[in-house]
Amino acid sequence: MRTLGRIFIILAAFAIVMGITYVTVNASTASLSRTAPAFERNRDNGPRFEGERRESRGAGGAVRLLFGFIKNVGIVAVIVALITIPKSLQKRKAAPVLNNKE
Amino acid sequence: MIENQTKTKNRTKIKLVVDVFIFIAFLVAMDPRSSGIAIHEWLATSLIAVLVVHVLLSWDWITRLTRRFIGKINSQSRINYILNWLLFIAGSVIMLSGFMISESVLPFLGLSLPRNFAWRGLHELSTNLFLVLLGLHTALHWSWVVDAFKRYVFQPLARMFSAKPGKDLTV
Repeated sequence: MRTLGRIFIILAAFAIVMGITYVTVNASTASLSRTAPAFERNRDNGPRFEGERRESRGAGGAVRLLFGFIKNVGIVAVIVALITIPKSLQKRKAAPVLNNKE
Repeated sequence: MIENQTKTKNRTKIKLVVDVFIFIAFLVAMDPRSSGIAIHEWLATSLIAVLVVHVLLSWDWITRLTRRFIGKINSQSRINYILNWLLFIAGSVIMLSGFMISESVLPFLGLSLPRNFAWRGLHELSTNLFLVLLGLHTALHWSWVVDAFKRYVFQPLARMFSAKPGKDLTV
């Protein structure tokens, strides 16, 4: 029962954030659509042409998926390294020297 | 006491599995051009349930920090808390904008939503922001990640490979 209540709170928080986003986006695009040209407004509703679909299958798709995966892992790894390496260096500097014989 | 320790151990194990799943699933879902729109959308939708589990597993920490946030807490916890909220908001925006431009999940459910050109841009922007926030989130929990991997992945593997075979008693 307690877990169910917590799930309800989390989903309610999701709904609140989504609701605020929905209202904000609709309000901002409603004011924009009055001034934007018609073709810009209908950009997402336009017809789809063969080859426009943004997905690929087969061996090429697998290679691309692997490449995308590595690229994203790389971005996360760089951010992690940028934060953790200076932190650990700082810790090492701050630690007392235990083997000092003098 | 021992029961508590076992509980914490199990929770850490579940947390590790859930977090690794979220990390891999998010990275796969981030590239719809390669994985295909259907996989992208269904995987991302299933992530909602996993994210709820992730938040539930950290519930005590969240409530403790929410109560103490105004008061005296160390700066790293405060940054962590704010970052987690940003992640939550970015995740919600990704989900909503994804549903608004859905080509697979919503049509499958027989639903159609009004199209708006802003959602696609917002979806891409929030996804890129989420990736950066995910990196920061991982960096702030790096010591936990390393400890959990050591304890529940590397050490059992090392024990498995270094286990000496029993003495052969037959002469």
